[in-house]
Amino acid sequence: MIICEKLTKTFESVTAIQDFSITIPDGCIFGLLGPNGAGKTTTMRMLSCLIQPTSGKAHIDSYEIGKKTDAQKIRRMIGLLPEVPGLYETLGAYKNLDYYGQLYGVPKKQREESIQTTLTNLDLWDRRNEPVGGFSKGMKQKIAIGRALIHDPKYIFLDEPTASLDPMAAKIVREYILELKKKGNTILINTHNLSEAERICDMVALVKNRIVKVGNPKDLAKGLFTRTISITMQQIPSTILRDIESLHLISQAQVKGNQLILNVKNPEEDNPQILAWLLKQDLQVQFISEEEHSLEEVYLKLIEEAAQ
Amino acid sequence: MRWRNAWIVMRKDLDEFKKQKFVIGSIVAMPIVLGVVLPLVMFVPMVTMVPLERPWDINGLVEIGSLPNDTIVPWTNQTLQDGSYDSMIFKHSKLKNSSLTHCIIESCIIENTTILDSTISKSSLSNSNLINVTVIRSEGLELDGRYILAISSDLMFKKTKPSEIDQVLPMMFNMILMIFIIVPATLPTIIATYSIVGEKNNRSLEPLLATPTTDGELLAGKIFSAFIPSMGATYLAFSLGVVLLDIVLIPKVGYPLLPNLTWILSMALLAPTACLMSVLACVLVSSKVNDVRAAQQLGGFVVMPVVVLMLGVLAGFIFLSPVMIFIFAGLYGLLDLGLFFFARAIFNREAILTKWS
Repeated sequence: MIICEKLTKTFESVTAIQDFSITIPDGCIFGLLGPNGAGKTTTMRMLSCLIQPTSGKAHIDSYEIGKKTDAQKIRRMIGLLPEVPGLYETLGAYKNLDYYGQLYGVPKKQREESIQTTLTNLDLWDRRNEPVGGFSKGMKQKIAIGRALIHDPKYIFLDEPTASLDPMAAKIVREYILELKKKGNTILINTHNLSEAERICDMVALVKNRIVKVGNPKDLAKGLFTRTISITMQQIPSTILRDIESLHLISQAQVKGNQLILNVKNPEEDNPQILAWLLKQDLQVQFISEEEHSLEEVYLKLIEEAAQ
Repeated sequence: MRWRNAWIVMRKDLDEFKKQKFVIGSIVAMPIVLGVVLPLVMFVPMVTMVPLERPWDINGLVEIGSLPNDTIVPWTNQTLQDGSYDSMIFKHSKLKNSSLTHCIIESCIIENTTILDSTISKSSLSNSNLINVTVIRSEGLELDGRYILAISSDLMFKKTKPSEIDQVLPMMFNMILMIFIIVPATLPTIIATYSIVGEKNNRSLEPLLATPTTDGELLAGKIFSAFIPSMGATYLAFSLGVVLLDIVLIPKVGYPLLPNLTWILSMALLAPTACLMSVLACVLVSSKVNDVRAAQQLGGFVVMPVVVLMLGVLAGFIFLSPVMIFIFAGLYGLLDLGLFFFARAIFNREAILTKWS
């Protein structure tokens, strides 16, 4: 489990992240969302024991972040994928992975098996000795992910894991991340890809130098937007917007083609009344649905509010 | 410190280094040009000016190899004083206030003596005049040497005659030796200055620093990966240089002059400590700057302590005797130790990762 309490990092006069408090339970995929310079990478680096927190506390299992004697133990438990793959371009994929396997103290046989599995899964086994400098960005990213996992860490920190991948490769990586979750790994992801966060994260934190909001990606929109329902009908009379006002349930109404779009306060209670009224008007209702707000809309609204 | 981790870091760096053919080329070529080609260019014309007689072809001198089996060597284990001797062989004797001409002197102690047209080996000399002699593996103080035919020893002369080969040869040997000391101090600057800042610029440093490797292990790995190729290239050039110089000089002196004790000690003690000092200083610089060019520029300063030694030798203030080598190697070794602990103390993962100005 990762627990952060008011974790703060200041670089001279610039505060990268302030009062960052979260709890990431074991086996959870936790996403950090935020614009550039929001402090996501700084947070990940603090949790990887690469930089010291200015104030606040954080624990990974029983080990304390910032405590010198715990740093090595924490690093051993973590697999880090930085923003840039940072591979040794003149060396082959095998040597790149083998180097890190050795540094993490993975026994030779286990290392060889792990590298072979990783490179075979990535379709790179036949090219294992080619210098990685000649590989595409996507391939490099895949090797870097393999590197972060070479020692089978409990905690996996991924900074923009699919940033440079094509849609197919990104899908493979996402599926891989979900597989890791099934194995019980705890994963922290920094991402700009909101649909990705929506699809794979159990929890997300929107950050802009501090936490703006934390929660399940699907619940983040609650209370942020007026709820909107969309009713599809065979025909919509031209007087409907004026007539529907008599219901006193709708704050805003508009017609788009054969859809009547209504802003309502509480659809669970208001929808039956609206439907009854429409049927009374002899209108034929085909579909009724609530408009959902994407994480992107939530993100933009929250970040905008945070900036204000 | 887990040396295994340092070894892993070093092996990876060497693997990367092996792919840089131009860097390898320059590292191998530099000591060969400076330590082999240049001395040969200096020696070959000089050697052609020296008379061609073999040292024991001096009038009246019996060639060692042609002594009959029953010859009794007359002056063995004796102390001879105030005498004048011609065409004699002396072994394990003490000679004082004498004059020797056309003699073979082996394993003797010689004081206040004038020696003419002779060969001296494995002896100790003091306050003596040497005229037309060959000195092999001997040592001496306050000597007046004229027309020394060849020398493979540490001799201190009270008068020097720069125009004469006997004076030039030891000086030239010292100069070549200095090349073999300054070269390993210069060579690693390219590799060592790149070691940390190069990884930072390639963005490979962050995942490396996220491993459980300690600062000391990382630094030690980086140090060895610059030290080993530099010393390897130096030793290669040294071996080649010694063999070729001997090939050039043997026809003149009749025996291999090099490597003598001074050279062996220099290569065993002085060159590695000087190289290590340069590597340490460059790695330290590399961990503190953000740009490879800045690191290499600053790395140029690290050879200063070796340059001081070289200037001292060239100016004649310092003569590279075994004692001096021990003194300088000790000093460099202490500096190396201090630099390592200093580099480890100021190695700051956070600053390396986050500071770009």
